[in-house]
Amino acid sequence: MMLRTSRSSATPVPEVLASSEAEDAGTETPRPVLRRRIPLRARLRRDWPLLLLVFPALLQLAFFFYLPSLFSVIAFMDYSPYRPLWENPIIGFTYFQMLFQDPYFVGALINTLKFALAQLLFVFPFSIFLALLVHGMLNKVLRNGFQSIVYLPYFFSWVLVVTIFLQILGQDGLLSRWLVGMGAERLTIMNNPETFTFLAWMQWTWKDAGWGMIIFLAALGAISPSLYEAAAADGASRWQRLWHITLPGIRPVIVLLLILQLGGILTVGFEQYQLQREAVGWQTAEVLDTFVYYRTILASDGESLGTAAGLFKGVIGLLLILSANNVAHRLGEQGVFQKS
Amino acid sequence: MAKNLTTPALRRRTLLRTGLLGSVCAAGLPLLAGCGEISGGEASVQTQNASLDILPEYVEWPLPAEPDLVGEPPDHPSAYLTYPDPVPQAIPEPREGSGSYSIYVPNWGPSMAKDDPYYTAMAEAMGGTRIEFVQNDPNAYTEASVQWIKAQEFGDGILLFSWMTSADANFDETVVNRFANLSEVLAGDISERWPLLAGRGDDVWAASVWAEDPANPEETSGIYGIPWTTNGGPGNGFFYRADLLAEAGLEVPTTVEELLEVARAWTDDPAGKWAIGGTDYMSTAWFGLTPGSGWSSQDGEIVHNNERPEFKEWVEFQRQIREEGLVHPDVGTPNFDGKAAQRAGEVLFDQDGWARWTDVPAQVAASGENPDFDLDVLGALTSKDREPMYHAASGVAGWLFLSNQLEREQIEEILDVANWCSSPAGTIEQEMIVYGIEGEHFERGDDGRPAFTEAGITAKQDSFAFTAMSGVVQNVLEGPADMVQRRFDFNASVLPVLVKDEFETARVTAPAGADEAGTIFDEKVNDIIMGRADLSTLEDAVATWKADGGDATRAVYEEVHRNMEGQ
Repeated sequence: MMLRTSRSSATPVPEVLASSEAEDAGTETPRPVLRRRIPLRARLRRDWPLLLLVFPALLQLAFFFYLPSLFSVIAFMDYSPYRPLWENPIIGFTYFQMLFQDPYFVGALINTLKFALAQLLFVFPFSIFLALLVHGMLNKVLRNGFQSIVYLPYFFSWVLVVTIFLQILGQDGLLSRWLVGMGAERLTIMNNPETFTFLAWMQWTWKDAGWGMIIFLAALGAISPSLYEAAAADGASRWQRLWHITLPGIRPVIVLLLILQLGGILTVGFEQYQLQREAVGWQTAEVLDTFVYYRTILASDGESLGTAAGLFKGVIGLLLILSANNVAHRLGEQGVFQKS
Repeated sequence: MAKNLTTPALRRRTLLRTGLLGSVCAAGLPLLAGCGEISGGEASVQTQNASLDILPEYVEWPLPAEPDLVGEPPDHPSAYLTYPDPVPQAIPEPREGSGSYSIYVPNWGPSMAKDDPYYTAMAEAMGGTRIEFVQNDPNAYTEASVQWIKAQEFGDGILLFSWMTSADANFDETVVNRFANLSEVLAGDISERWPLLAGRGDDVWAASVWAEDPANPEETSGIYGIPWTTNGGPGNGFFYRADLLAEAGLEVPTTVEELLEVARAWTDDPAGKWAIGGTDYMSTAWFGLTPGSGWSSQDGEIVHNNERPEFKEWVEFQRQIREEGLVHPDVGTPNFDGKAAQRAGEVLFDQDGWARWTDVPAQVAASGENPDFDLDVLGALTSKDREPMYHAASGVAGWLFLSNQLEREQIEEILDVANWCSSPAGTIEQEMIVYGIEGEHFERGDDGRPAFTEAGITAKQDSFAFTAMSGVVQNVLEGPADMVQRRFDFNASVLPVLVKDEFETARVTAPAGADEAGTIFDEKVNDIIMGRADLSTLEDAVATWKADGGDATRAVYEEVHRNMEGQ
């Protein structure tokens, strides 16, 4: 009983609804919640400092995201950078047709989805695992040291990450040299197409899992220690505390990040695959971004086809975010934004 | 009602509707596709014409110091064995200028600060004009430059090597829309103001011409670039460690079969020694394949390397040296540094540009790490008793393109600088361009030759800047006497077997789809070489390449060939 109460408390609750529930608790018949609509002017007067704080971010979004997004219109044009935008003839969905009819597009799409799914299934939970591991460390020095070591690779470029992997796991890397010294064969993991997904997983995990951990750690820090104390006093085991307090406590953040990750499901990166393309072969490492690179920047299909591919990725991402967010709302989660 | 705290059951219909929304929309897009026409995509040809009126008149500019070894330029350049003394000045009175211009260049060496005294000294020496170089990462330069140029964000000018221009499939269109047409300024006799540029010759200027309408070159052509280095002689070298070869008691190979034997004998995988480093662009000549475009006339037919039986042999060779473990395992990865691997004795053979032959021995000598170090270069290898062949570098190695936003006076001022920078080796101007300021970046040795100081090595050596402004008026070999002599002799030895691209004077824009087909074909070949695909798949790959653009491109080259033959 105590544990169930704890779980309810750990879930963020909208202020108005929480108070109504508190009122409901002492009565037999629930009363309807009255929502008083505050006029816009009053809300502006009340919130202007917050709005002022948000303004630079909005400005940045407007200039660097929304304004450039308007130029997505070139996906529907026979675009040339050498004439004014409005002089480019509208040709409809021709570039989308070219994209979907390209015999190599499907392969790139399948690879992209494969890598995205692997990231979602194996890297995302690993971040949660790392966060729980660090959260459980009581020695502050050890905790800070581990935390720094684990999230530092996030700031490395992919060139550096691939180079480090080559230096260690390459055919002439540290491990191979050691193996040869022991009379064994050299490692071939860096140029074996069959194990590339595993290699890519190792690279993602080493590079990105630490960063994901930081976000979950922040969420873990928001859980009141009194819940753990109360649960421990009630005799809850470590596993029960994890299951009934910790995980429900970070569930909104997990859902939020999951939804955002779904939005970028067709954007699995570029450099990592490009750098290892020759070693493992183009059919293994071709993802949508490399496909677009070879079809547009290095070929004659130009900006319109690239924009069409980008728009396709964006639309799919948006739909996935909206769908996932909808599902989250239905599961009682806040999602990316709160439903009004 | 506190509905947010309850978890409503997910209705199956809603879930389906939500979940399938994305896929339905994605799948629906192609169905909505319209059929608007895309312009362009047609092949075009621009043929070099040295008799165009827009070209500057050739006026010979005699070298200020006679070369010690006289060759047959441009494929066998002359050479200085002794450094000119006194060092002549090519342009005693540089034209005054006051402008400041920014030029984009790739840079493999150190970058100097914009306010470095070197730039001030250069501006004073050149008459006052200041050039600021935007030095970029050379690895990303080629592809990034395509976007900079389209967005008109390349300052006042940009240097592109000729091989870089293929990164933009519509480069001919880009040139006439983004770069300044220099014809008005350069046409006719320019020898009074720009004597060195006038002395560069008709061919290099003709190679710098693009036409707005390739179908009407007589009326729409213009000079759009300042020609960079004039190519000539053997294009690259296949270098080997002569000291290690002799130490192992092995003979210098002259055939591919001998090369394989030497490689097998020298390679020692557990010891971290692999005989072969990079081979891809050097080894095609060993099998009789054509340089440059890859198209050639064989028995009256226009064919591409891809479809020739020799190409299959080359692919087999590339696959074989990997299967036998003769190639350094890092080749093909970002980890492979051929220069360092060869210097360290990890590889015996490696391909590179000619700078390897002078730079690495000089660096090894300076470090004193290996007094026996000896780097040499292989001549023309043959296979299966073929006639020996060595691929020549021909044409112009690149261009400095100026922005079409510049005024005529500004273009003229930059051409003043280009003229100054065209000074040949062994002049005060070239010393300043290559070595920097005497006493700071370089000092003279006993033979009078400039040699970098420690400060010069740190700040100036390999820093790519004023070299970009123009190619020199005449290529002359210059350097340590023994190296110059070896290079001169090597050039003479391969001169009879030098082969050039038959279509080097034709600038062909491939028809739509041909570039993509070529890229995919190369990827498939790479799969075969690396053992990811069977050799038998090559035939299918060739057939696909032909169908997707190879045959269409052949038709263009057949037309060019007929025109060249005067048919």
